[in-house]
Amino acid sequence: MLLPDYYEFCCRVKIVAGHDALEKIPELLTERGAKRPLIITDKGVASAGLIDIVSAALKDRLFADLIADNVPPDSDLRVVNQLAKLYQENDCDAIIAVGGGSVMDTAKGVNIVVSENAADLMAFSGVGALKRPLKPLIAVPTTAGTGSEVTQVAVIKDHEKHLKMAFGSYFLLPDISVLDSRMTMTMPPLITAMTGMDALSHAVEAYYCLQKNPLSDAHSLAAVRMIYHYLPIVAENPSDRNARLSMAVGACLAGIAFSNSMVGLVHNLGHATGSVCGVPHGICMAIMLPYGLEYNMHKREEAIAGLLLPMTGEAVYRETPPAQRADKVVSLIRQLNADLNTITGGRHARFFQEVKDREGKPLVPREVLPEIARAALSDGASIYNPEDTDYEDNLMVLEAAWEGIPLDRNKIKRG
Amino acid sequence: MSIVKDIPSAKKPFKRAYVGIFLWFTGRAIQAAAKVDKEVKKEFDNLPDDFTFSLGCLPNGPSMVIGKRNGAVKYLGGNPGQHKVHVRLAIKSVDAAFLILSFQESTALATTRNRLITDGEVPYALAVIRILDIVEVYLLPKIIAGLAVKRYPKQWSAGRKLGGRIGIYTRTILGI
Repeated sequence: MLLPDYYEFCCRVKIVAGHDALEKIPELLTERGAKRPLIITDKGVASAGLIDIVSAALKDRLFADLIADNVPPDSDLRVVNQLAKLYQENDCDAIIAVGGGSVMDTAKGVNIVVSENAADLMAFSGVGALKRPLKPLIAVPTTAGTGSEVTQVAVIKDHEKHLKMAFGSYFLLPDISVLDSRMTMTMPPLITAMTGMDALSHAVEAYYCLQKNPLSDAHSLAAVRMIYHYLPIVAENPSDRNARLSMAVGACLAGIAFSNSMVGLVHNLGHATGSVCGVPHGICMAIMLPYGLEYNMHKREEAIAGLLLPMTGEAVYRETPPAQRADKVVSLIRQLNADLNTITGGRHARFFQEVKDREGKPLVPREVLPEIARAALSDGASIYNPEDTDYEDNLMVLEAAWEGIPLDRNKIKRG
Repeated sequence: MSIVKDIPSAKKPFKRAYVGIFLWFTGRAIQAAAKVDKEVKKEFDNLPDDFTFSLGCLPNGPSMVIGKRNGAVKYLGGNPGQHKVHVRLAIKSVDAAFLILSFQESTALATTRNRLITDGEVPYALAVIRILDIVEVYLLPKIIAGLAVKRYPKQWSAGRKLGGRIGIYTRTILGI
């Protein structure tokens, strides 16, 4: 077992989970002396009827009629400032963020502006610029994937100046995360599959990347067990509320794990593919996950083999010879992608060649792979990957992931 | 009698001197490597014209500053305060700096142990780390360089290693 000489771990988010967890929000806000929250969400969440469920859970016990549903798919500085103004003009005293990653990031940005009376959000970018607690923030995730309800980072884009501002601080952790099965019940199978694979990639990468530690490991293993077991179930039976809640908890556990142990090659190449080709993040994660495992196998075989136990249980783990356990983990993840592909009628892509837009046009033409490989050199996730990566390594992995063939491990450069 | 006991800060002159000399030498070696090694030159070519970075330890140094000036890469001394720095790599203490710069801990491991603060845009910081890794491979014997970098570049030709070493050491010592 890899036991680091030194490590750090922090998660001070109160987590409230259940089939009726939303009803607890008024009490939680009262405990923090807040009475007038601003609800931040996006149009997709609102049109799916999820804000109605939140409102119904809060009504009669809280003055919560101030709902802003104009968060764009990409967080935007202009919207952050607009919402901060709305918060201040209405004397709000807390924020409830209902949505996915962009809504969470926007809410965190708004919280910085209103708590610090910040005229320039840029002054608080970077790591450690925030020095004191912010206003109460409650995160209500509507996907079981990003884990941003328990992460200490936010990314806000200034589309006018073409700037991407990153913020990192323990003060950005939401005070409370509310995981309620009703919030993910209406997610269609394809979105369920890709967000679930995003969560699995957090849990798995957190278990083998350089900053792993016994506390993040505990969260990773629990997350892998829940996500691997329940993801095919929710993809097939979207209205299974117990499975939905389990996925929400699994994604939250994975979020805690990766925000403490960080992620590596899967996210490195996934971010680059997303930015060059516009492929949704979850699809990139699903495709890249087996390749991240294969690429790092020679350095992390023992850790990867350890994932077999939470995935399959004790009987299969014992039956599998130790030398084959890590390979079996990779093949089971490939099989999971194949199963999700079947469940979604072929829409869940297993490799980049299969990724198409709504018109059926390929989103990742083979000729853009060199551009993706170069873009990945500018992504910070490479720092935490166990094995080093360069342009040639990136291209080799991308080509295998494009074709959908296992990585030729003999070609991986070793020091 | 005072109820408060003064605890003077440890000066650690040996570690401080080691770190100072190492940074001074590495700074000059980066200037040399930018002329000798194509990969280092390419990394600098992709950075802005006035790009400047510093590597040092908190709270008061020692540090080194490297910058691109009129197309050439220069070692700019040990005072980051005199320059507009695009990337600042700061090791949190002289003890941590000693661990890293005496190769008891790789840069990657030091990052995971939260011993390094990185200020600046991530793509620039990653380019600086790649440059530092290449220069360490040139300056150090394989057995030590293997501890300093994540992956020792076995695929480099003997000519690149030997020629590069001679060129970089010569230029570093002469300061050219």
